[in-house]
Amino acid sequence: MSPLIQYVPGDSFFHRLDPRAKIVFMLLMTTIVFVIQRIWIAAAVWLSLLALWRVARLPFSILKQMSKALLGITVFLFVVQALFYPGQTSLIYPIIPETVPIIGGVGRITLEGILFAVLIALRLFAMVLILPLVSLTTPVQLLALGLVRLGLPYSLTYAMTTAINLIPVLQDEANVIVDAQRLRAMQVFEKGRFWEKLRAYPPLVTPLVIGAMRRAQLIAVAMDSRAFGASKNRTYIQDIRMRLSDWVFMGATVLYAALVVAAGWLIP
Amino acid sequence: MQEPLIAFRQVSYRYPRTRHYALKRLEFGIRRGEFVAILGENGAGKSTLCQMLNGVIPHTRGGRMRGRVLVDGLDTRQGEVAQLAQKVGIVLDDPETQLFTTSVLNEVAFGPENLGIEPDEILRRARWALDVVRLGGYEDHPPSALSGGQKQRLAIAAALAMMPDILVLDEATSQLDPVGTVEVLSIVQKLNHNQAMTIIMATDKGEQVARFCDRVLVLHRGELLAEGTPRQVFADQDLLARITIRSPQVSQLAAYLQRHGRPLPEFPITLDEARRGIEQIVGDQPET
Amino acid sequence: MTEFAVQIEGLRYVYQPQGIAALDGIDLAVQRGEFVGIIGENGAGKTTLLKNMVGLLRPTSGKVWIDGLDASQQAVSNLATHVGFVLQNPDQQLFAQTVEEEIAFGPRNLKLDKQEIRGRVEDAIAATGLEAFRSEFPPALPKGERAKVVIASVLAMRPETVILDEPTTGQDYKGCHQIMQIAYHLHRAGHTVLVVTHDMALIAEYAQRTVVLHEGRVLLDDTTAAVFAQPELLQRTHVTPPQITRLARALPRKLALPPTALTVAELGRSIVESPKQK
Repeated sequence: MSPLIQYVPGDSFFHRLDPRAKIVFMLLMTTIVFVIQRIWIAAAVWLSLLALWRVARLPFSILKQMSKALLGITVFLFVVQALFYPGQTSLIYPIIPETVPIIGGVGRITLEGILFAVLIALRLFAMVLILPLVSLTTPVQLLALGLVRLGLPYSLTYAMTTAINLIPVLQDEANVIVDAQRLRAMQVFEKGRFWEKLRAYPPLVTPLVIGAMRRAQLIAVAMDSRAFGASKNRTYIQDIRMRLSDWVFMGATVLYAALVVAAGWLIP
Repeated sequence: MQEPLIAFRQVSYRYPRTRHYALKRLEFGIRRGEFVAILGENGAGKSTLCQMLNGVIPHTRGGRMRGRVLVDGLDTRQGEVAQLAQKVGIVLDDPETQLFTTSVLNEVAFGPENLGIEPDEILRRARWALDVVRLGGYEDHPPSALSGGQKQRLAIAAALAMMPDILVLDEATSQLDPVGTVEVLSIVQKLNHNQAMTIIMATDKGEQVARFCDRVLVLHRGELLAEGTPRQVFADQDLLARITIRSPQVSQLAAYLQRHGRPLPEFPITLDEARRGIEQIVGDQPET
Repeated sequence: MTEFAVQIEGLRYVYQPQGIAALDGIDLAVQRGEFVGIIGENGAGKTTLLKNMVGLLRPTSGKVWIDGLDASQQAVSNLATHVGFVLQNPDQQLFAQTVEEEIAFGPRNLKLDKQEIRGRVEDAIAATGLEAFRSEFPPALPKGERAKVVIASVLAMRPETVILDEPTTGQDYKGCHQIMQIAYHLHRAGHTVLVVTHDMALIAEYAQRTVVLHEGRVLLDDTTAAVFAQPELLQRTHVTPPQITRLARALPRKLALPPTALTVAELGRSIVESPKQK
């Protein structure tokens, strides 16, 4: 199961929060990360999320994995923004003087560009912390229950949980398919040329898709055979209840979000 | 004469977007408490028949259905699958696809939750069902960590939690190893004996049929080719010449002996019957 | 040219990170032209062993030689021309538009010339009886034919040894029989055949030699008749001999019927030839 989604059992404060509080947290935090415009605010938010990660006692190895994956994008980000952001303060002068038409100005690196890149990078790093904080500390079943209690129709949440549960299944299936094709001398990752890599897709994707379709039909039969969708008043053996700590956490999250937005407005 | 619990009356069916009929004018009845096997080659219509018992056909699968299927007085075309699911539990052949949740307990609770049953009652049913299939104590296990046999037992428990009178097994042991197969069959037999549950088992394995079943329905290309006790079916040489079904090896032996002019006194379907028969027709070798 | 199709010495395989030793010291030598059955309960290590033979897994320790080549030094694609592995579930590899293209996939990956590919496809279709289906879309074929397409596509790699992993799962009696007949003919043509299965009746009928795996080790390695003559030992690994063999063993000695009969025909013949009850 993808390490970013698989539930990691634990007993931290964060684990014990009501899923509804966590869902609200996730929505609010994602929104504010989108609206941050100041580097120092972005840094503060990122650090707070890291602190929460610590509070939830989640392993840092997962963070390391994520960072490695983001490294490529971040470097790309820096290069692009540094070179093309319309800033004023030049740090490195252009290779080709600006007076030359069209290509003039190429090679210039601005301070503003770099700063903008830092902002985006911080926002990115903060963003990727939010979902795992929730998905790693909440079993899928409880998350679904939380969404249902918040008003989402059961069929939608069920579709979501089924999709999540199927991820490891499809991953295993994909591995078997790759093995099977390797046994027919398919050199999937050894060939470098793009054209050949493209040709590698049908033998890998077709069996996966057909398998998924077959599976979907069987799942539909199995679900109906267990009366899926029978009653408008579906019951649940698990129960979730908002306690004081959950309300306090939700309140704190709202306050925090308000602070961040205010700081962005009021402080230049 | 007692009305059969399940009745197929001139049932024909074809799947959506296909021309040929998967089932053709099927007519038979199954009485309460019977243990019936459905034998036939791949494509004979066994799965189709199974899915007609709880209304999945025609409601979920669509297609064109003619004739009537009556389950405990309810016409499957009029009833809904959710209604029928409380009379007929079904276990499919693939241990993976019929399990959807992240824990054994949640899996068993899934059906009753859908019906809106009180959580206390659900937990009661779940404990009972898990006990029957001998998975008590596995409540928090993720289904993916179970063996094939355990998964199928879980599927049975999940079906039992709906409190059906009828249990349908659609090739439920075809993907299991011998250990898992024995696990599943012993539970099913127990349900049939102790709870008088009506069992319908689509299978390919003649030896299983001979041991457990009261009656056999033989399907071929959507038609009911033969009907009878296991003994009657496996002794029918004409039948076995027309279609390839796996009869118990001892029955195959009896057929061989018959063909070669050395028949057994009675047609055996179990090892003991065969042994007794052979002892009667073969003379002791003289001591040398 | 070595006389051994497969030679394994002290093979150990440990799955990381759990540290579970799925194979704990396997020694096995299969000569060219043998038909060997591999049996054992789930978890005994059968699939792990097969994967080590074809290079999908590399031994943690010990050696595997395929046709005299050290398997750990060979790429999977090269080993595939020596040992063909027919996976259990055909649906996990069928993708082409037609059966012909599916079968040609392997040879194409080997960069063979058109003439050669054509020849191999024809031979494979003939060997598996797929003539009538050559232009069909493989995933749409019935179960039995799908399994045959996979066998054909492995045969097109022209391996010396063919391994079938649970070829009869989900197949009906007719399908099982057809697949085993293909294996039988391959054997007759000189190939080395290894079959992993739970179906003891098939092992008894087709395999001359049977290897029983138990907890990552070889428990028994002998002629099939000798293996099934030890039901107490087999019970340890949850293996039950076929009904006909159990029947033969249950018969009184004085009837002088073979206690190790493996097939219906074998026991039947002895009974037909035996003297009548007085």
